[in-house]
Amino acid sequence: MAAITLKVNGTTHTIELEHDRVRLAEILREQLGLTGTKVGCGVGKCGSCTVLVNGEPVTSCTLLARKADGAEILTIEGMADGAVLHPIQEAFLDAGAVQCGFCTPGLILRTYSLLRAHPTADDGQIVEMLRHHLCRCTGYEAILAAVKLSRERMQSA
Amino acid sequence: MSLRYIGKGVRRVDGADKVTGQAMFVADITVPRMLHAKVVRAGVPHARIVSLSTTEAEGMPGVHKVVTGQGCEILFGTCLWDQPPIAVDRVRHAGEPVAVVLALTEHQAEEAAKKVKVEYEPLPFLLDPVEAAKPGAPLLHEKNGSYRRVEYIVHSEAGSNIFHRYKLRKGDTEAGFAAADVVVEEHFEFPLSAHCALEPHGAICRFTQGGDIEMWASNQAPFVLRDVLADMFKIPVTRIRVRIPYLGGGFGGKSDVCIEPLVAYVASKVPGWAVKLVLSRKEVFVGSLIGRGMKGRMKIGARKDGTFIALEAEMFFSDGAYGDTSWPVVTVAGHNCTGPFEFPNCKVDSCGVYTNTPPVGAYRGYGHPEGQFMAGRLVDMLARKLGMPPADLMRKNFLCEGRKNGLGQEIKRSHGDLFACLDKVEKAIGATPLPAEDDTYLYGRGMAAMMKAPKMAANASSTAYLQLSNDGSVFINLSGIEMGQGCQTAFSQIAAEALKMPIERIRMYRDVDTQFTPWEWQTVASMQTYRGGRAIVLACERAVELLRQNASLVFDCPMEEVEYDGEACFRRSLPGNRLPVGSLARGYMFGNGLTVGTPVQTTGTYRVAGVTEPDPETGMGNAAGSWTFGVQAADIRIEKATGKIDVLHYASCFDPGRVINPVTIRGQIAGGVVQGLGAALMEKLEFGANGVARNTNFGPYRIPTVDDMPDRFTIEFIETPNPEGPFCAKPIGEHPIVAVAPTILNAIRNATGVEFTRLPVRPEDVLEALRRKEGV
Repeated sequence: MAAITLKVNGTTHTIELEHDRVRLAEILREQLGLTGTKVGCGVGKCGSCTVLVNGEPVTSCTLLARKADGAEILTIEGMADGAVLHPIQEAFLDAGAVQCGFCTPGLILRTYSLLRAHPTADDGQIVEMLRHHLCRCTGYEAILAAVKLSRERMQSA
Repeated sequence: MSLRYIGKGVRRVDGADKVTGQAMFVADITVPRMLHAKVVRAGVPHARIVSLSTTEAEGMPGVHKVVTGQGCEILFGTCLWDQPPIAVDRVRHAGEPVAVVLALTEHQAEEAAKKVKVEYEPLPFLLDPVEAAKPGAPLLHEKNGSYRRVEYIVHSEAGSNIFHRYKLRKGDTEAGFAAADVVVEEHFEFPLSAHCALEPHGAICRFTQGGDIEMWASNQAPFVLRDVLADMFKIPVTRIRVRIPYLGGGFGGKSDVCIEPLVAYVASKVPGWAVKLVLSRKEVFVGSLIGRGMKGRMKIGARKDGTFIALEAEMFFSDGAYGDTSWPVVTVAGHNCTGPFEFPNCKVDSCGVYTNTPPVGAYRGYGHPEGQFMAGRLVDMLARKLGMPPADLMRKNFLCEGRKNGLGQEIKRSHGDLFACLDKVEKAIGATPLPAEDDTYLYGRGMAAMMKAPKMAANASSTAYLQLSNDGSVFINLSGIEMGQGCQTAFSQIAAEALKMPIERIRMYRDVDTQFTPWEWQTVASMQTYRGGRAIVLACERAVELLRQNASLVFDCPMEEVEYDGEACFRRSLPGNRLPVGSLARGYMFGNGLTVGTPVQTTGTYRVAGVTEPDPETGMGNAAGSWTFGVQAADIRIEKATGKIDVLHYASCFDPGRVINPVTIRGQIAGGVVQGLGAALMEKLEFGANGVARNTNFGPYRIPTVDDMPDRFTIEFIETPNPEGPFCAKPIGEHPIVAVAPTILNAIRNATGVEFTRLPVRPEDVLEALRRKEGV
């Protein structure tokens, strides 16, 4: 069986694939114990499993692991600096954007990817980005506020 | 009394776990010696199993065992025992499990599941509850009426598919309608829908070789689940341990029991091994619980001046293949279909009907959205017929002090103030004039009022256990499930306030574990802040008593002379001599080790007192323990070319007695409103001609995205003190969803002149109606 190499949150891992259809989310969750990546639908529609692959947001429940061979991956476990939360994580808490928390990791990672590429992203870009994510708890109001607050805080950081 | 934490936007206590990905959900749990399960589902809506072959599957790599229902004699339930954990010789819905493959990896289980061969002899299937309820309809359960059940509350009609009929008979509706000047009547439909909590259902179960059952589950009702397992396997309750990690949303879809009896049954066949099953999203649609599914008719009669005089309603619920999780929804829909209005005469028949769909269970609002969809629309129609503004008609008939609800219970002032809610909503929505029709858009405004009363087991209670430590920090242990609603945060605020302590010193138990956490009925009906909060206040009051008692032993003075201020106890006459709470936590130890007093470990229990099941003949009685009222209004815009509806402004005002946390309560309202917009405008579980659900994943089953949220929310509260609740608070979690459909459909009527009575109203429905109207 094929093996792949992934650099996840700064650490390099070599991983044996059980079969050639293994998705990246399974590797992260089951092989590497990074269960912060959530699988909500398995078809790339809810966005809960979003991680950054070479800096780009990807639904890890649909991406074949073998296609990520050699990639650098950022998961939610890599966002905080030890016990110091990332400003986006703080912003999600302050804005009341977290309820059940299942969609939260994916949202935080996509927010990070947007604001890193576009620190002054306008509200339209933010809404466009949020279209990739489903949340059944918040009605999106607080999530929208959290992303705007993240934008503000990352600019002043 | 000035409050330090109640009414403040305290940050969620579970927040850091959730933004870092460290919050554990059931799918994240791995235990030693664990097998992965894959379920083989019927794929046909109603059939006899002619043959079932597992031989090939058993020979596949990694397969440990394939479990079928052959020989299974178990029927499980809580009030109606009609469901086997796995199909035995017949399947009654397409998602029903017929075999479960256990293998070392998930992939191996999946591959082997494809090799299970089942042959079916099809039986006629029924999806429409009205058809299914007719005499002569093919039966799903020949034993309906003879299944074990709690006969006082579940009224099955043998020889039919009606497994429960709730009847409300208040006053004399015939005389009422005879005296009415104006009558409106309509048929309505609220389709089957999916809860769509983002976390799929999961469970892990092990039968130990010593005869115990261990389970981890995404479940809102660990103690109900424990009792059901004990009943299924005939072992003492105390030999079962159920653990509940964080839940990624519930909305009722994880209440009572769902996939757990299946997982336990399978695990019982492999003692010593743990069995883990996590549903795929598609399986959540076809193989867990779904919601709603009501077809009904309602008629309202009023006098010329607008006074309501009679209400008649008939509801048929497409409750799926099994009835235990839906019969109480049927009852509650009947109790509360009047909405927040007084009707002196009511006649309601609410029927739970077996149909060939997944079983229906609790879904946010629990029968209230279904029944009050009808009332909310009819009140709007009646107002037009009477030539009265809907708001005036509502005011005339609102439940308020001295008036009686459908069950005959008298409403008190503390139950809430609908008039004040309506005033706030009218003012908020009226502040912006509704634009006039233009070339592109039609505009409409609609309004509806709601009430919700919790349905619960009459003995439902919450218990808090409190433990004070020697550093002055406090554990609160209570079995409320945190599923996003924020109960752990509200509990912490309530405890900190009641103990007058900094909130940082309060720590809620995180995981619920039936071996360690106090008995609790279940986390449903928006009761945690209310019932659990009250239990915490009582435990805190007792802890303060104990602290003062301990201090009085140290001071050698009567307890009445001892004061407590959150930090320390002191004697009123000697305020300088302070005993810090931590020094009194385990009794007080003098320098020589002599210890006096009692360790500060207390409990508090609260049950909504005096609740009874409704009278079997009249359906009336003291069946509701509290009420929360609210009013909502919306401005919408309809694009003429496409029929697309945008919500410009959605205003809500509820009376939750007291706002415990303004941030989390706003999240509940905004979230509930948007979930309600899904029901009003997009969501419906669709079935093909073959009786199999078609739209079984996100995408085909569309739920609201960020684009569907209203452009503007108004979210306000009236706080009429309710002395029963903790710091006067009342239930609020489910309430924002109840009146959304009638509010939006009333706005659509206002914009288009078309009376929609079936949900959802999608753009194509609006377009077709507009075209039809033009054609006339």
